[in-house]
Amino acid sequence: MTRYLLRRLVELVPTALVIIAASFALVRLAPGSPFSSEKEIPPEIRQQLEARYGFDRPLPEQFVRYVGNLLRGDLGLSTKYPQRTVNEIIAAGFPVTLSLAAVALVWSLLVGITAGIIGAVRQNTAWDHAAMTTALVGISVPSFVLGPLLVLVVSLRLHLLPPAGWGDWRHLILPGLTLGTIYAASIARLTRGGMLEVIRSDFIRTARAKGLSERLVIWRHMLRGGLLPVVSYLGPAIASMLTGSVVVEKIFNVPGIGPYFVDAAFNRDYFLVMGIVLLYAFFLLLLNLVVDVLYGLLDPRIDYS
Amino acid sequence: MRKLQRGLSRLAWGGSRSGCWPAILPALLLVTGCGDTGSPYVGTVRPRHGPNELWINNSSEPEWLDPNRCSDSTGGEIIWNTFEGLVQAHPETLEPLPAIATSWQVSDDGRRFTFFLRPSQWSDGQPLTAHDFVFSFRRLVDPQTASKYASNGFIFSGGAEIARGEASPDSLGVRAVDELTLEVELVDPLPYFLNFLGFYSFMPIPRHLLEDLDRRGIDADLWTRPEHVVCNGPYRMTEWQFRQRMVFDKNPRYWDAAGVKLDRVRLAMVESATTALNMYTAGEFDWPGGNTSLPAEFLDHLSRYQDFHQHPYLAVYFYWINTQAPPLDDPLVRRALSLAVDREALVKHVTRGGQIASADLVPAGLAGYEGLGRPVHDPDAARRLLAEAGYPGGKGLPPVTVSFNTSEGHRQVAEALQAMWQQELGIKVELANQEWKVFLANAEQMNFQLCRMGWIGDYADPYTFLELLTSDCGNNHSNWASPEYDRLLTEANRQADPVTRLALLRQAEALALDEQPLIPLYVYTRSQLIKPYVRGIWGNHQDRHPWKYIWIDEAFAAQGGPLPSRRTFAPDALSFTHSTETSRRHPGCVQFPTLLDWHGPAPRPLPSTVTRRQEMSP
Repeated sequence: MTRYLLRRLVELVPTALVIIAASFALVRLAPGSPFSSEKEIPPEIRQQLEARYGFDRPLPEQFVRYVGNLLRGDLGLSTKYPQRTVNEIIAAGFPVTLSLAAVALVWSLLVGITAGIIGAVRQNTAWDHAAMTTALVGISVPSFVLGPLLVLVVSLRLHLLPPAGWGDWRHLILPGLTLGTIYAASIARLTRGGMLEVIRSDFIRTARAKGLSERLVIWRHMLRGGLLPVVSYLGPAIASMLTGSVVVEKIFNVPGIGPYFVDAAFNRDYFLVMGIVLLYAFFLLLLNLVVDVLYGLLDPRIDYS
Repeated sequence: MRKLQRGLSRLAWGGSRSGCWPAILPALLLVTGCGDTGSPYVGTVRPRHGPNELWINNSSEPEWLDPNRCSDSTGGEIIWNTFEGLVQAHPETLEPLPAIATSWQVSDDGRRFTFFLRPSQWSDGQPLTAHDFVFSFRRLVDPQTASKYASNGFIFSGGAEIARGEASPDSLGVRAVDELTLEVELVDPLPYFLNFLGFYSFMPIPRHLLEDLDRRGIDADLWTRPEHVVCNGPYRMTEWQFRQRMVFDKNPRYWDAAGVKLDRVRLAMVESATTALNMYTAGEFDWPGGNTSLPAEFLDHLSRYQDFHQHPYLAVYFYWINTQAPPLDDPLVRRALSLAVDREALVKHVTRGGQIASADLVPAGLAGYEGLGRPVHDPDAARRLLAEAGYPGGKGLPPVTVSFNTSEGHRQVAEALQAMWQQELGIKVELANQEWKVFLANAEQMNFQLCRMGWIGDYADPYTFLELLTSDCGNNHSNWASPEYDRLLTEANRQADPVTRLALLRQAEALALDEQPLIPLYVYTRSQLIKPYVRGIWGNHQDRHPWKYIWIDEAFAAQGGPLPSRRTFAPDALSFTHSTETSRRHPGCVQFPTLLDWHGPAPRPLPSTVTRRQEMSP
């Protein structure tokens, strides 16, 4: 297991290098400059601006310098927010995105697994149909429809929660639900499918034959088998809750890092784009690793040694 | 487990065991569709905060809060309310009022101004002197500052040379005669100088703070953060949560602190227009602020409410023509394109925000300027011109491409033009939608045939628009240059007599529009929502609304009434009219008339400075 982990960690290094080089090249290939605007800037002033960020140097030199700074943990300066470093911007926004993803995750697991169990245990009854139809609706309704609907009903009609903003727990609920619902729906379907797969297998029959109560059979045996697909889904799901919160963060004006992913690219904010890409890449790689390890723990048939 | 199941089921489906899931949808619609509440206002009319506080939106994080470096309106909004320059714009007419300068003298040739400053303090108690202005103006044009708005300092003699690195910043035509006397030398006797001097680039800079930070080893570029900032305006920033909010408290050391009504202003950064509207409805904003647009698709609906206001804005929407790209290298074709556009239909059915259809580059009536009044639609003349150019009925004319940057609004305008040109002239038009930075790069490299642009006037003078077409202007994206046009503008700016000057400018505009290097379409308007308990905001052409004059009508806020009388303007008041009397009295002062009085009976008496205008030297 340790050896497996080490090997995987070593493999991360070339992957990371490729990501850095590719994103550096792509962001520089894009036409336009971080300093262009509809109002012309005198050329001498523009040179000064470029020199401030080192953009006047040849590209290979800039790349080497960037990687060097990166190794020291310095992600560079933002051109759009010149009073902040990329490190500061991520440090301010990432915890916000994380807390939003946490609420979404808890909500999706709670609802998804419950609905999945109901569907599997009461297969082909009205219960099952109801749960799975809801799941279908949940998967089909995009967050830019669900979010405004929730705002309209909960904030503007019922006056229960603020329509947008950030500050206390009340601001977390609507964006959390909006972000989590689509995953809840997928989890419900995956849980149901996974459980139905094991429900007629031998070890379940053995468990029942042993005289275990139905509750124990469901919780200890069926659920454990049924959750395997959910676990493998959770890695990418968490990653996409972190990276895919762009729309939700826009609708609810949550000051996370989601919108930067799009805006920084539009603004040609080179170092900020790179910083966000690297952060997301890091989390994707990490979560994939965690999922593989969890797999070994949950399924006795998988052995990494 | 079963209990949980039943509970969940009851929650979702109202307790029925059968699959009655569709019940939830009509229920949702019932809640959301319960229509109009009958209120004459959008959302709540009770403030959600304590007295003497204002919650507004500023739409996004500003780039710089450093007056010399700022180049966006979100930063400008903050600088205008935390700093004070030599003059300040009147909240209603935008006329320059004495601010840190109490009076001034102008030399006979109109190029030399002497300002007499009032004794005043920075927010840390240090005295504010003429040297702080000299430091600021030099810093603005110094290439080391790398200010995107350095060109604003080119009005001072030597400014352009310094920015090009040809002269030292000390050589700028700005001098502190003594602690409270400032002498300024201009390149030309610019009649709009005093109006322009109120712009945020010209605020004083606390040199002592920058030097102190340097000594302490702190990056002096961070001086505008709340932990360091020293300012001289009505408010001072006390809290800055990146991309969440900024809080501004009244600055007790401001020279006119007694005239400042609000104790605290809270600013949010909500970018989405729809989200901002939701927050206004829920009472999270008292006023979405000058930097927030309302969603265009809701304008019709919102205009029915009493807290909706609309006023003309000093900005022009137009299309650049690349005059060297065939077939647009023929002025006849260009003029045909312009005449074929039905601008009235465009503003009525496409932009729908009450915009003013105009085929002129300079909005009519601006600062006494008699607009050209070119026809806004003449399809017959357009067809004649096109035939004259050798393309009767559009035959033989290759397709032209119209570029615009990604935005629903720009797309709709482009599609309307496409249809009009196709229908009236038989020209095949292709649309090219480009991401903003790509669009800018293409415009810069003249890699387009027709591209959309908007231009916001920096000051109330025709020159702010006419400058666009001069041959050495970096913002001229037409490939069109005329020595005669350049000569007329230069001559106009050397004129001391305002009437002769405006006549020369008008002659220049006519010359340019005969060649049609661009197609003006309309003059912008601004639409705003303001809670009825907020007073002291006037609709002016530059959309500047100093917080200093804003106050909360506590009586209204407490009872939810009485209703203030709603004033709208008649359609004929939509033009920029002007008072020649004022111009004659103070050649340097350009006055706007009252177009719209928002909220409340007569405007409040003018600030205390007004009486001191008597001190102004001729």
